[in-house]
Amino acid sequence: MKKKSQKLTIFLFLLPALLLFVGLLISPIIMSIYYSLFEWNGMNSEMNFIGLGNYSEMFSSDLIRFGNALKNSLILAALSVFLQLPFSLALALALGKKIKGERFFLSVYFMPVLISTVVIGQLWLKIYNPDYGIINSALRGLGLLGEKDSILWLGDKDLALGAVFVPTLWQYVGYHMLLLYAGVKSVSPELREAAKLDGATEGQVNRYVVIPSIKPIIKVSVIFAVTGSLKSYDLIYVLTNGGPLQATEVPSTIMIKQLFLSNRYGLGSAMAVMLIALCFFFAILIGFIFKERDIYGKK
Amino acid sequence: MKRILAVLLVLAMVFSLAACSKEEDKPASNSGNTTNNSSNEGVVSDETATLKLWDIAVPGDGNRPAYDASLKELKVMFPNVTIEEDCTENEAYKPKIKAAVANNEVPDIFFTWAGAFLGDFANAGKVYCLDEELKKYVGNELPESMLGNSTYNGKHYGVPTTMNVVGLFANLDILAQVGYTKIPETKEELFDCCDKLVAKGIIPFGCSGKENWCVTEYLEPIIEKTIGATELNDIFRNGKTWNNAGIATAVDTLQQMIDKGYFDPNGIALGNEEVKANFMAGKYAFYQNGTWNCGDFSDPSKVSFNVTVGEWPVMDASKSSMGQLIGGPSDTIAVSANAPKVAAQFAVEFGRLICHYGYLAGSGLPAWTPYGDTSAVSQLVQTVAGICNKANGYVLFGDNAMSAEDADKYLNYVAKVYGKEIDGAGFVAGLTSELR
Repeated sequence: MKKKSQKLTIFLFLLPALLLFVGLLISPIIMSIYYSLFEWNGMNSEMNFIGLGNYSEMFSSDLIRFGNALKNSLILAALSVFLQLPFSLALALALGKKIKGERFFLSVYFMPVLISTVVIGQLWLKIYNPDYGIINSALRGLGLLGEKDSILWLGDKDLALGAVFVPTLWQYVGYHMLLLYAGVKSVSPELREAAKLDGATEGQVNRYVVIPSIKPIIKVSVIFAVTGSLKSYDLIYVLTNGGPLQATEVPSTIMIKQLFLSNRYGLGSAMAVMLIALCFFFAILIGFIFKERDIYGKK
Repeated sequence: MKRILAVLLVLAMVFSLAACSKEEDKPASNSGNTTNNSSNEGVVSDETATLKLWDIAVPGDGNRPAYDASLKELKVMFPNVTIEEDCTENEAYKPKIKAAVANNEVPDIFFTWAGAFLGDFANAGKVYCLDEELKKYVGNELPESMLGNSTYNGKHYGVPTTMNVVGLFANLDILAQVGYTKIPETKEELFDCCDKLVAKGIIPFGCSGKENWCVTEYLEPIIEKTIGATELNDIFRNGKTWNNAGIATAVDTLQQMIDKGYFDPNGIALGNEEVKANFMAGKYAFYQNGTWNCGDFSDPSKVSFNVTVGEWPVMDASKSSMGQLIGGPSDTIAVSANAPKVAAQFAVEFGRLICHYGYLAGSGLPAWTPYGDTSAVSQLVQTVAGICNKANGYVLFGDNAMSAEDADKYLNYVAKVYGKEIDGAGFVAGLTSELR
């Protein structure tokens, strides 16, 4: 009887959180899945059931080019994992060695994370400006570009994607650095000292002691980097809004256009569902990869 | 210590509750909650209400002075109405207002574009029918013709403010350098003028490729002056096929101009404000955009050269003529279907005043009959008025005329034209197959 009452108490205490979780997280996903099966403009009560028609159109339409947007996001995710994170890790390891001005550098590298994305977008728009932007001006100053020539960093479809990724990666280096720095700092100094007494160099200490110790944090950083890349929107919206010629489209920019410019709520919802599914898939995949390494990956 | 802490917490709670009860005494912000007060002389309504207003008149926008002056005057006409204004930049506003309408969070009063944009809201029953509130003005202060773009199934759902057309703005000081004293009126003259400008190292046109609507400001007049206003109107609004050889020719003409170096190659990477700033700095000879820019271009503190405005030259004289324009009364004020009556009254007066002050400030032609002293209206606006007086055909902006889905596809193809991913034939074939 007492056990039953305890369970009821636990349930009652958990109920508000459960209701919030279901109401704010689960039900919108379920609603999105439901809407994705309809052709609906989001305003009228008329909803035409089309089954998986929206999913099929998403990948087959030459005008929407969702597959291209997905490819762009995956490139961004790969760059995040293989460029941004190693750089962040290097910074975290360097700062974790109690160097002079540690707090100052920590603040400097973290600063872009605190600045509004719109402000960062405007800043990089100026940097990339073909007429007076600092990059083109520097190239002209160095004689690498003619006086009247310009490189269209955001206007050339072959360059725009890379140009958009630079500030995206730059902005979050500090974020990952801070996560990893916290991990580096939590590694026991005794472990480091023991390794050094065994004759390990600084690099070997990092490689064989520090990095394996902070693997759970690296895993979290990888999950954030990949899912963040899939969800990227704001900076791309400010810099190019998906242009030129859809060269910098990512799933979120296309989704917003379909939802709120084309009034295609069904199709937009299908894209939202696809994004959620991909984020879950990659989070699970990354978790699986890191789990495998924990068991068999030790040398 | 614990007692002191407890007393402090109790006091904090009491003050919080007191603050909450004060909050309740304020006028309700719920749009449906209005109360009657005693009437005052000279006021349109003395109802008490707090109304949400959404618009695109951000600080620095050409329409901002007209909005400020109108809201100031409306405080006298509606003394108990409190306005909570939310301004959003043009491009960001479109998804914002659509999301609000879709989620039944329509602001009480909001700016919108007429045509299919407002039509979607009206057909979904999300906006207030303004027939009763407009009745006293229609036919006298507000010509019936100005309501055509915001009338659906015979009912009026919007208050037109200013009327704008696409204008070809020209830097006369630059044109003088190549022997032109006025804007060319034929294709041959235009190409000759541009060839001379390019030979002198001057860029004839600036056009933002980052904002697709800016490309339509060039493409639509070229199409109109190639196939004629009636034909284009039938395609935009009456479902006539896009499979028209003249459209392909017009697109090819635009691309020919790009190839000949008539357009700033950097334009594809720039936003409209940057391109406009370049024109104002004297970088281009021409800038084609809406006549709402007249206010900025008339301001000697912003533009230091002689500027004039005209219309796009005739491309095919057998099908088109001068006087065929792109534009019309599109800027509109609408009211949420759930808003109180006072919001509808407020919106009508607001639209009328924006028109008045906007006309005086040079942000467009009046959709309403002008009143008061209009002698200060700028020369550019008067020139636009002269062009409109002689107009023999109007075609509403393409993205306003089409349904949201079609407009998005259309703008997608327009971007491909400017980026030279498709030619005229590709444009026609694509739109013929894609648009409903």
